[in-house]
This record gives sequence, C-alpha cells and structure tokens, in this order.
Amino acid sequence: MIEFKNVNKWFGKLHVLNHINLKIPKGEVLVICGPSGSGKSTLIRCINRLEKIQKGEIIVNNTLVHDKSINLTKLRGQIGFVFQQFHLYPHMTVLQNVMLAPVNVKKIAREKAEKIAMKKLDQVGLTGKSGSFPAQLSGGQQQRVAIARGLAMSPEIMLFDEPTSALDPEMIGEVLDVMVNLVSEGMTMCVVTHEMGFAKKVADRVLFMDEGKIIETGTPDDFFDNPKTDRAADFIGKILTH
Amino acid sequence: MLIDFNFRIILEYLPLFLTGLRSTFFISIVSIALALTTGIIACACRISGVRIIKYPAIAYIEVIRSTPLLVQIYFLYFGLPTLGLMIPEIQTGILALMLNSGAYIAEIIRAGINSVDEGQLEAGISSGLNYIQRMRFIILPQALGVTIPPLLGQAIVLVKDSALLSLISVMELTRCGQTMTSERFMPAEAFFTVAFFYMCIYFVLKAVADWSQRKLIFREAY
Repeated sequence: MIEFKNVNKWFGKLHVLNHINLKIPKGEVLVICGPSGSGKSTLIRCINRLEKIQKGEIIVNNTLVHDKSINLTKLRGQIGFVFQQFHLYPHMTVLQNVMLAPVNVKKIAREKAEKIAMKKLDQVGLTGKSGSFPAQLSGGQQQRVAIARGLAMSPEIMLFDEPTSALDPEMIGEVLDVMVNLVSEGMTMCVVTHEMGFAKKVADRVLFMDEGKIIETGTPDDFFDNPKTDRAADFIGKILTH
Repeated sequence: MLIDFNFRIILEYLPLFLTGLRSTFFISIVSIALALTTGIIACACRISGVRIIKYPAIAYIEVIRSTPLLVQIYFLYFGLPTLGLMIPEIQTGILALMLNSGAYIAEIIRAGINSVDEGQLEAGISSGLNYIQRMRFIILPQALGVTIPPLLGQAIVLVKDSALLSLISVMELTRCGQTMTSERFMPAEAFFTVAFFYMCIYFVLKAVADWSQRKLIFREAY
C-alpha cells in the first residue's frame, strides 16, 4: 500500500532521510520511534507530499507520490494526517472544521457532509462539542477533533505525527483510545510516537530511526524487550526511565 | 493672545472650510478605495511566486516606500506633463495617494497573511484543499483580524497626507487655510480650524476602527 524505494532527502547539508526502503501493507499499524531529529516526522510527511524528496520514490496505492503529473488532491484525500499541534482552524466551529474538506474537496452536499461529520465526531466521542470553537476545548478534545477531521475524508491511510506529545498526561489516554478503535476497524496507520503502551497493544511492527536511517524493525515485543542494536537499547532505556 | 482669537472670521470663512472638508473627505474616500484595490493586487502579485508579476510588484512597493510622498506628488504633477500626460490636479493627487498607500497596504496585507501559523497551511494541504481554497477558507479569514487595525491606521495616515495636495493647488482643507491666511492674514484662526476638521475626520475613522474591531475581527473564543 505504501512503499519507499531508496528514498533520500536533505535539508541543506543534513541528510534527513538516508536510503529508506520500507513497505507498509494494507491494514498494517506501524509505529515509528527514534530520538529527536532522527527524521521520523519527515518520513511520514513525505507520504502525502508535505515534503519533497531528492532521490528515490514513494508509491501509495500504485501512485508515484512525488511525480509532478499526479492528482495530488485525490492522493491527499486517501491519506489523513494528524499533527502534534492539532492545527484545527481556530475561526471555525468543530463541525465546520470536520466538514471543510468533504464539502470543498470531495464536493459532498452540505447536509450529507454534516451527517458524515457528525458520525466521525461520534466516533471520537465529541458529538456534544460540534458547535464549540477549538479554543474552548481541552488539548485531548482538540486532537480528537483533528482525528475526526482526518477521518471525514474516508481515508485509507492515517498518518499520526506525535499525536500525544503536546498533551497533558491525563489527556493522552482518550486520544490513544480513539486510535486503538481505528486499528480495530482495519485502518492502515503510521504513527510517530513514543507511547510504548500503544505500540505494544496494537502495533504490528515498530520501526526505529536514528540520523535519517532505519536502524531496526521488529514486532513491538521483540523491539522493546530484546532490541538488536545498542542504539535502540539505549533509546528504549531512556524512554523507560524518564 | 487668546483674547485676540477671532471666532467671527472663522464663521465668515466657514462655507469655504466646509467645501475644503468635503473635498478632503471625497479625495480620501476615493483614494482609500483605490489604494485598497491596488494594495490587494500588489500583494497578490508579490506572494504569487510568478516571476513576471512578482518582481514588478516588489519594485513598485520598494520604490514607493523608499521615496517621500511629496516627491511622488511632484513627480506626477510636474513630471508627467513633460512626458506628455496631462491630468487635472485632483486626479493627480488621488493617483499619488493611491499609489503611495497602495504600497503600504500591500505590505500590511502580506504581514497579515504571514502571521497565520504555518501549521494551518499544512492542515489545509493535507486535507487536499487547493491554493485558492486554503486562502479563502483558512488563511484570509485569520489574516483579516490582524490586518484591519493597521489598515485603518493607514487610512488615517492617508487623510492627513492628503494635506500635501495643497502644494499642487488642490482646493482641499489645508489649501483653504492657506487661502484664508493670504486673504486676511489670520494664520492662527485658519490653521486652528483646519486642524479641528482633521481631528473630526480622525475621530470618525477611529470610531469605525473600534467598531470593526469589536464586530468584524475574529478572536479566539476563550
């Protein structure tokens, strides 16, 4: 479903993605972790072409992502993206946030789009907040709205860029619960996160990155309990003791 | 001294001042409307990324911002006729004010657009919205809030700048003060009155600014 073929990317002299080869089959839940600056956010931002790449290719559903002639709108419609900082539109209500793309990108009629939006808000447990503005919600609620906004386009893939890192500890659970529910629906997911509990519970595979390279991959249990490399062991030790 | 301040002469010249006020008001309104249009177009060109319209827009903005308004007025008033273009004073004046304020307004709008968080743009991109849709639904509504106060500030500046048109014999408010001074030699009364009328316009615009800040500007609801 998603395939990286020898992908390389530089920010100036910094080699952020170094020969990335990766296959993510349909329905897989992939957790990406690694130290700050290791390129994990950049990796998933390339999948919906928020970032350019300089070498190699990324293929999503037989579409060459970085080819100039592709229909980007269609590609991005298949991929939901959830940001660390939510990035809800502050001047719109929750419902308007969720409806914006279905109405304007997919050209779905308002009444129908509203129904879809309410269904997605129900899925994240926030139907009661449809008329609120983002600033009136807690961080956890805002992130759940952001997930509903992504889901409203009925994507086949959901990308999460550290979805719980900007949240107060007591709100992390509610966001992870929503994500766990998504897994049970068979969604293909790439999640950049350090939430070991989440990884162990639902991830099919964990991918560890450092300095732009994929250092190791494995099942969550293997990776967290018996890391193969020293760097991974060192990293796991740090996130466990903090 | 203040005792010598002659209010009667102000009354006598009131009809003249009112014509001047009307003229200043008319020139300002027309110039502001045109400057806003110019500014929006110049800003759109500048941020477009299309070279053949981007660089002329930058050149226009920088030339205007680096030269005094009076020089621009003189260039249009004395310079254009020698190049074979004859325009009446009022139109010349409005053209000068429009070009001048247009450049500042372009920068005000650009600053407003740049003030919107990059993440907002990325959220729009990720959901598949195209450039126009992102501008219309996400960027501009948020930019509007931070843009309105400086835009009204620029409008107030323009009204006061229009006094410079007295130097190319446009019969506006300041010119009326000069006329009365040359006829009666009572500069204190003349320019006191002129200043008073400018203040009136200022307070009207300020009231509009305050009202719009309450009504039009989006603020995050806390």
